[in-house]
Amino acid sequence: MPKKNSSAYISLPKSKTSLIHNIKKYWPYYVMVLPGVIFFLMFKYVPMLGSIIAFEDYSVFKGILGSPWAGLKHFKALFNYPDFKRIFTNTLLLGLLKTVLIFPIPVILSLMLNEVKNLKLKKVIQTSIYIPYFLSWVIVGGLIFDIFGVGGLFNNIRNAFGMDTVLAMQKETWFRPIYVISSIWKDAGWGTVVYLAAISGVDPSLYESAAMDGASRFGRMRYITFPLLIPTILTLFLLNIGSFLELGFDQVFNLLTPMTYSVGDIFDTYVYRMGIQKAQYSLTTAVGLFQSVIGLFLVMTFNKLANKFSDDGGLW
Amino acid sequence: MKWKKSISMLCMGALLITSLSGCGSKADNKNETSNEKENTESSVTGEQNSGDVTDIEVWGTNTGYLPVEKGSQLYNFYKDLTGVGVIQPYVEWNGGTTYQEQLNLRIAAGEMPDIFTPVGGMEAGLIESGALLDLTDLLPKYAPNLWNLIPAKVWDVMRANDPSGQGRIYTIPNVINYGRNGGMIRQDWLDALNLKMPETQEEYVNVLRAFKNDDPNGNGIHDEIPTGGRAEARWMEHLFGMYGVATWEGYPQWDIYDGKLTYSAVTPNMRDALEWIASLYKEGLIDSESLLNDKAAWDGKINSNLVGSWTHLPQEAYISAETIEKTTGVKPNIVTLPALSAPGYEGYYTAMNISGISYVVANTDDEEKIQAVMKYLNAWADKSLWNDYYTGVEGMHSKLIDGKLKKLPDDKKSQQNLVMVPYNMIADLDFMTQMLEGEKTPEREWAVSQSIRDMQDNQKYVKSIAGDGIPSSVYGDYSDIQNRTLYIEYASKIIIGEYPIEKFDEFVEKWYASGGEEVTKKARAWYDSVTK
Repeated sequence: MPKKNSSAYISLPKSKTSLIHNIKKYWPYYVMVLPGVIFFLMFKYVPMLGSIIAFEDYSVFKGILGSPWAGLKHFKALFNYPDFKRIFTNTLLLGLLKTVLIFPIPVILSLMLNEVKNLKLKKVIQTSIYIPYFLSWVIVGGLIFDIFGVGGLFNNIRNAFGMDTVLAMQKETWFRPIYVISSIWKDAGWGTVVYLAAISGVDPSLYESAAMDGASRFGRMRYITFPLLIPTILTLFLLNIGSFLELGFDQVFNLLTPMTYSVGDIFDTYVYRMGIQKAQYSLTTAVGLFQSVIGLFLVMTFNKLANKFSDDGGLW
Repeated sequence: MKWKKSISMLCMGALLITSLSGCGSKADNKNETSNEKENTESSVTGEQNSGDVTDIEVWGTNTGYLPVEKGSQLYNFYKDLTGVGVIQPYVEWNGGTTYQEQLNLRIAAGEMPDIFTPVGGMEAGLIESGALLDLTDLLPKYAPNLWNLIPAKVWDVMRANDPSGQGRIYTIPNVINYGRNGGMIRQDWLDALNLKMPETQEEYVNVLRAFKNDDPNGNGIHDEIPTGGRAEARWMEHLFGMYGVATWEGYPQWDIYDGKLTYSAVTPNMRDALEWIASLYKEGLIDSESLLNDKAAWDGKINSNLVGSWTHLPQEAYISAETIEKTTGVKPNIVTLPALSAPGYEGYYTAMNISGISYVVANTDDEEKIQAVMKYLNAWADKSLWNDYYTGVEGMHSKLIDGKLKKLPDDKKSQQNLVMVPYNMIADLDFMTQMLEGEKTPEREWAVSQSIRDMQDNQKYVKSIAGDGIPSSVYGDYSDIQNRTLYIEYASKIIIGEYPIEKFDEFVEKWYASGGEEVTKKARAWYDSVTK
């Protein structure tokens, strides 16, 4: 694993050069990185300045500079919101499910796919598990409501086994399982892309020597493929954990009914209700800021842990 | 190699598609230019007649019809009638939700439409931030038709909408001088089972049971849905009404309970209504998917000849009747369900004379815009033009039959959205009847006359409520109360049996604690101010 990195280090000069000197010397690289930097400045950093409206009583007619200062009013309003506890727990729980149950699936899937030796079969499987990713949640939501409806597949199967009809979409107990299963169905296939790419980069000679030493197929998977995959897993995990509280509005919103508010109302749906529908932009910006701060905190914590776990395991 | 090959194939495909679509768009362009040519010609002639025309953008309900673009047929039609260029882009309505989102986005971007229908009580905030045009002095001067059409009493209610308390008018209300919504029942189903029209709640339940078990639609399958409604406990007024619960299309209203103006959702009436509806649900007399149905799903069930009784607009019963006939071949007889009373209550269907705001105008200093808007509003309220607005463009919305323009059946693919529908917004029974009479053709008479009959019948069962015209500003910052979030959750869960009825008391407590107290205070203050 450290092979690639060390070779990259070797090509860099060790001497401490000033930034200007560095730029002069490697200007083509800087030119190459420029579009990315501009992108992040324009679409990530400049909009961040807009977060200031979380501390104002923002009115679209007065603008950012003209709106009166409100201090921490909106944060207080958020924490005093009667359902804050419910929204927070729901978000945490779904976030936890996402991390614990949904995140590992693509890893397992790609390890399994890697063992399929028939190339044609492998391609067919891969393609068919990619497809759901390209459907929008509106469509998937509609499908799920139909599947769990009175005449849907779910109830037909239940009826065939002599069980009575259950309208799962309006039952609290079913919301989380449906959330997890639908996430996996839609996104897990696509998630394997990066892992499969990482696996294909593994040096085949490692497998050969392991085979000669008498390692079984499972052994090779366990002692070669998986360990070599860990850096990729860690990186993706850290990228994921940053959006721990941002679960993706589309999915939850399209699966939610008033009957499942108590388990499915999360920050994103709250922001939609207050911000997009009621135009309370300051309050919802405060919510967004709160989510980001928690996300940043989690990334930093887990990055530290990752560095402890393996050298060079963290993002920085 | 394989990759290269597939990439080159892809490129070729892309090229092919772009070149093909290129051809298509070229052809389109040609059409457009020729259209434009016609337009410029017509506008040139138009100019000779009426001088310059100012365009204004008008936003309102569009449930799927084509937009009104500059130079289109409907644009020219309105231009000739009103002297104003009316433009309306397509904005998905989706029960008002998507519309509200899009409108908020446009407002946030500083591109508020010139005239628009506000939804979800957004007007209160807009008035406060000075974003809407003060119409108090403009209307009597420049739009006398509108000023005189709406009773002074109603304008007074609009004055009370001014959050600054200065009694200025910013909003143009929807005024309906008759009971528009009510319960419907399938008379032909009653006849098929030899049942008489129910007169008590008990009889009604027995009718529902018979609908469920005795196959009134005669297809041999137990597929009937005795009654039901839509998600968020909406469109079930025929059930809630039995307990004297004031509600309008599923939105609980304010009325006098126990001598005081109260939100109907937190009254004992509501408690009993929910308990009863939950028992119907348990027995399978209400569509089990009621609380998941969107408009399309619920209308679909009604139109497939599956539903026995529901809440709707009697004036639109003929649309259901015709659709049922078209899809199943059955000619239904849809009649008004009399307002029934639960034991100990007096039942009615809620009538709202002022049901929301039809228009507000964006604030502007542009004198030309203001004049155009006033011209629009004046023509909008000009009753002599209403029939023209109703029949729309000849060939698109209506057809000449025996020298008279008759409306064509709805077709969302070919018809532009009728922007000017004053007869729906400032409606009276006579004009509505007259309009429906105008739709009668030999083939359609059976259905249309059902609507006319039902509409008249419904007037016997409606009641006006005290909270008529209550401004959205009473809700202040309590968006969840205004959105009725808490109510929907509890009502839905009680109906489907997830919560026992005792939970209702918890709901009332929570409702008052989470802002209901303040909102009620404000609502009562408003009521005192208008009844003084």
